[in-house]
Amino acid sequence: MSIVPKETIEVIAQSIGIPNLSPDVALALAPDVEYRLREITQEAIKCMRHTKRTVLTADDVDSALNLRNLEPIYGFASSDPLKFKRAIGHKDLFYLDDREVDFKEVIDAPLPKAPLDTAVVTHWLAIEGVQPAIPENPPIEAIVAPPDGKKMDHGKDDSLPIDLKLPIKHVLSRELQMYFDKIGELILGRADTPLFKDALLSLAKDSGLHPLVPYFSYFIADEVSRNLNNLPILFALMRVVKSLLSNPHIHIEPYLHQMMPSIITCLVAKRVGHQISDNHWAIRDFASKIVASICRRYGHVYHNLQSRLTKTLIHAFLDPSKALTQHYGAIQGLSALGPSVVRLLILPNLETYMQLLDPEMQLDKQKNELKRKEAWRVYGSLLLAGGSCLYDRLRLFPGLLSPPDILPWKTNKKIALTNLPNNKRKASSRLTAHQPPTKKLAVDPTGTNSQFPSTDGPATSSSSGSNPNHHHSHNSSNNNSSSTGNITNANANINNVSGSGAHGQRVAVSNVLRQAWKEDLDAGHLLSSLHGLFGEGIFSFIQPAEMHCFI
Amino acid sequence: MEEEVEKAVFAYLRKKGFRLTEIALQEEQTRLSSDASSLSRSESDAAKYYDGYGKLRSWAYNSLDSYRHELLRVLYPVFIHCFMDLVAQGHMQEARTFFQTFREDHEMMHLRDLQKLEGILSPSHLEEMELARLWRQNKVKIRLCQYSYELLVQYLHKTQSLAMLGVINEHINFEVYPGQPASMSDDSEAVSLIGASQDLAREINQKELHWGLLEDSVEERMEKTLSESDKTEVDGNKEADTEDNNKKKTDGNKHSTAVNNKKKKDKVVGATGKTIRSESSMVSVPPRVKPELTLPQFPPEVEQSILEDLRNRVQLNSLALPSVSFYTFLNTHNGLNCSTISHDGSLVAGGFSDSSVKIWDMAKIGQPGRASNPQGENGSMQGMHSLASDEAKRPYSLLQGHSGPVYSVSFSPFADFLLSSSSDNTIRLWSTRLNANLVSYKGHNFPVWDAQFSPMGHYFATASHDRTARLWSVERIQPLRVMAGHLSDVDCVQWHPNCNYIATGSSDKTVRLWDVQTGNCARLFIGHRSMVLSLAISPDGRFMASGDEDGTIMLWDLSTGRSVSPIIGHSSCVWTLAFSCEGTLLASGSADCMVKLWDITSSMKALKTDDSKSGPASRLRLLKALPTKSTPVYTLRFSRRNLLFAAGALSAGS
Repeated sequence: MSIVPKETIEVIAQSIGIPNLSPDVALALAPDVEYRLREITQEAIKCMRHTKRTVLTADDVDSALNLRNLEPIYGFASSDPLKFKRAIGHKDLFYLDDREVDFKEVIDAPLPKAPLDTAVVTHWLAIEGVQPAIPENPPIEAIVAPPDGKKMDHGKDDSLPIDLKLPIKHVLSRELQMYFDKIGELILGRADTPLFKDALLSLAKDSGLHPLVPYFSYFIADEVSRNLNNLPILFALMRVVKSLLSNPHIHIEPYLHQMMPSIITCLVAKRVGHQISDNHWAIRDFASKIVASICRRYGHVYHNLQSRLTKTLIHAFLDPSKALTQHYGAIQGLSALGPSVVRLLILPNLETYMQLLDPEMQLDKQKNELKRKEAWRVYGSLLLAGGSCLYDRLRLFPGLLSPPDILPWKTNKKIALTNLPNNKRKASSRLTAHQPPTKKLAVDPTGTNSQFPSTDGPATSSSSGSNPNHHHSHNSSNNNSSSTGNITNANANINNVSGSGAHGQRVAVSNVLRQAWKEDLDAGHLLSSLHGLFGEGIFSFIQPAEMHCFI
Repeated sequence: MEEEVEKAVFAYLRKKGFRLTEIALQEEQTRLSSDASSLSRSESDAAKYYDGYGKLRSWAYNSLDSYRHELLRVLYPVFIHCFMDLVAQGHMQEARTFFQTFREDHEMMHLRDLQKLEGILSPSHLEEMELARLWRQNKVKIRLCQYSYELLVQYLHKTQSLAMLGVINEHINFEVYPGQPASMSDDSEAVSLIGASQDLAREINQKELHWGLLEDSVEERMEKTLSESDKTEVDGNKEADTEDNNKKKTDGNKHSTAVNNKKKKDKVVGATGKTIRSESSMVSVPPRVKPELTLPQFPPEVEQSILEDLRNRVQLNSLALPSVSFYTFLNTHNGLNCSTISHDGSLVAGGFSDSSVKIWDMAKIGQPGRASNPQGENGSMQGMHSLASDEAKRPYSLLQGHSGPVYSVSFSPFADFLLSSSSDNTIRLWSTRLNANLVSYKGHNFPVWDAQFSPMGHYFATASHDRTARLWSVERIQPLRVMAGHLSDVDCVQWHPNCNYIATGSSDKTVRLWDVQTGNCARLFIGHRSMVLSLAISPDGRFMASGDEDGTIMLWDLSTGRSVSPIIGHSSCVWTLAFSCEGTLLASGSADCMVKLWDITSSMKALKTDDSKSGPASRLRLLKALPTKSTPVYTLRFSRRNLLFAAGALSAGS
């Protein structure tokens, strides 16, 4: 009946030395106990309100007991809210974690620090109704929100221009100046010390740094242009940028336009650090990540942010007069922006670019070892970009990872161009023949793929040298399946009717490629074209289960 | 045991030969026992209540749209009384299930009452609990239109549910009015009919109220002289304006401590504000009244300083918002219970749970040489303290004397005295010059929640857990008046600017206005849904604002006793309210770490044009919400120059 069960009463009775309490008494006591509890709670809430708190503490209960002329309950002297723990295995049983304390330990322990004395500090919460952006006030975001409601209320936006004036009005406090000087010193001199890590953490976490943002953005722009040869400093600066970006209290948008050029410089500069000794690739990677995160966060605020960025990068990418390092940066930047950017901007240019890159990579054509290394780097980044794009496609449209029957001919482009035509004819005839039934045969491709031996997932990497063999086997399996039930064709047909039109044009590989790009969702084509350009390397981007169909 | 007594009684009667008495007693007994048997029959009674209420409820919910809200009003009192009847008859289990089943319907409106009533588990609790007793003793009055009433009567007749009929007859008075049912929005009165009986409230609120300002106050004289000297002053101010502007630029960044700065800024704003004065000059001049208490006279130099302040006052309105200076208490370890700020913002006092009161002199805090120059002219006082050196190190003066948490502190108008009230049932008067306790006032029997100096000084009012508010003079250790009438703790108290009335807010969810001369209740304001925590009365004496535990702020017209506009102002307790000096703005501070500024003039205008009804059109308009950095706002105060001071303790959770 009452929330205090009579068992509780019995247990308490036993604990205070009344062993045989009659059940009637317990039953009668239970409701009264609940009433008294509620009464005390009500008084305790009053006391809580008068101590201007919204959390009930043990002190309040003591005061309430005091009000009723009852003895307080001893042992809960802490003014902090009590921390209850849930008893394991019970849904609604809680207990106080009250550990036993060894007296000796307490006595031996050094005296704790005396608590700080109470103090009063003042600040301007508002000046003529406008909150100044000082550390004592909550960060700007919190302030910006209310005006919306206010505008709704009475349609006035007179406060807006005042808000914009704020950063100009503000004068940097001495503490902030010292902070800024210290950070600057750390960046330029001691970026490898643990102190710098703490500084980065502080930049990423502390509120009230907002007034410093314009100074930091100027500082970063200045130092980046001055220290292009000094990789550690650049790295430190980029890490500062990253920290500032991740600080939730900083309203960085107005300063992005100052920061972006420095970051992009780090990404696509021709020379960053001393080429030979320094790992300038790392800073390009890092910068690309920052750029991507900026686009993700502020892309919706600045609509042209991403388009401007991609324009800059694609310009660097497509300009053959630019150095390979710049190409690398551009590719990294673009690929960090996501697979769709890669698909739209890099892949259409991939083929032509590869033609350019090929000679640079080959030992006989490019004698300069450094240049060759760079070329391979670029190749690697392209491979990664394409591969991650492919991976993304495959993940989104698992139905598309069927082995497209065009794969063999295209991959044979380099190796077996000669046998391509007849193969193709065969295939197309096969296709037309099987088109009607395939519609019924829309079987889950992964399910059928599991018929194939699934052990050689990793083996593909080893068979990089035996391209022809591999594709032959693939071909044969393809033929087998088509002769029996033709499952693979069903998959080929998923990429809709236009497929048959495309088949007719397959003589010229570039045409096929063009067609393939048109079909955005066609992962099969994508894979095949990528395979054409990268060979076996691309397979590492496909999940093992999906690999089976190529083996 | 009882039987033995009876036997003894019968034996005695027989022995003495009181035959008739014996027969009467026997008859009595048989009747009692038949009652007892009827009690056992009443097992089915419980079900009757359950069914009866359930049917009434579904009927009311299915009634015609336009009458439904009126009929639904009937449900709540019926629900409460059914529950209490069940409890009274001893059907605990049934009462519980009944309560839980239908509780949900009323949660929105009456959550707090329900939480209290939920605890009733035996007939004895009904007797004990204030709220339950009130319900039992008072009849609820419900206004229904003619047709709704007929509908209800018809229903009760048709269904023959005697239990419901009984409850309704016994506990509800219907006030039937002709015509169409009133609109939903007027519901506020119907909602809050518990506690005091409505009749009483109406009777009280019909008394005459002299809400005007005092005759011959400094302000009035000021107004007179102002009209004469206005011209010359404006010229003088222009010069001062440019000068101050320059100063402001130079020390704009050092605003942290120096009060001087604030004053300067204050003045600058004042000068600009002056130009607007012509347009926003007082719309209506409040009537003047004579003081009912003998009030002290201000010394001439004090009067001078007030005049100076008034001359430099900033005109605030919806376009010219005030500057807010915030005093943050650091390292309070959850111990700060209350704070107050003197009129000029130079002194800040806090009352703590550890029984201490601390006063900070903001003018001295910025000075570096303070530690070496202990207490200045008060050096002679040092001998009294054993820890003189310790004293010198502290940036504040520590006042010790209470023996329980200090729940309120209040400065006298010129900050030479400080009052503190505590849970040790006493109020203490401290001198801020001597940093010593002068008087301890004993009179309350329970913790004193609030103490407030009158606007003219000399008198003060207190509010206590003992359900009384008391009026005191600083010179006497006994109270001058005891204001009794609240049904629960009196939680806050506030003076009317003309010193003839004090307002009190209580846990019984009402606000009362008391006449200080007679000690009678002059107004009763019903409308809050939870404990009233803060009060403020506009400087023209016409309006009162009250804030409660839920974050609601209500504005009342003192003369009519009606609510002007209830608003959900905050998401948590409204700890403090303050009117600007011309009464154009209301500032509210809350546990949700916000200072909000509300436009009063616009809602007043709406009130004037549409005097009969207080529709949603006359809501308070939010001008600005100023969030603090996890600092609940405990105190707000407008200086005489209209600078807003706020204080709060930084909560450790941040």
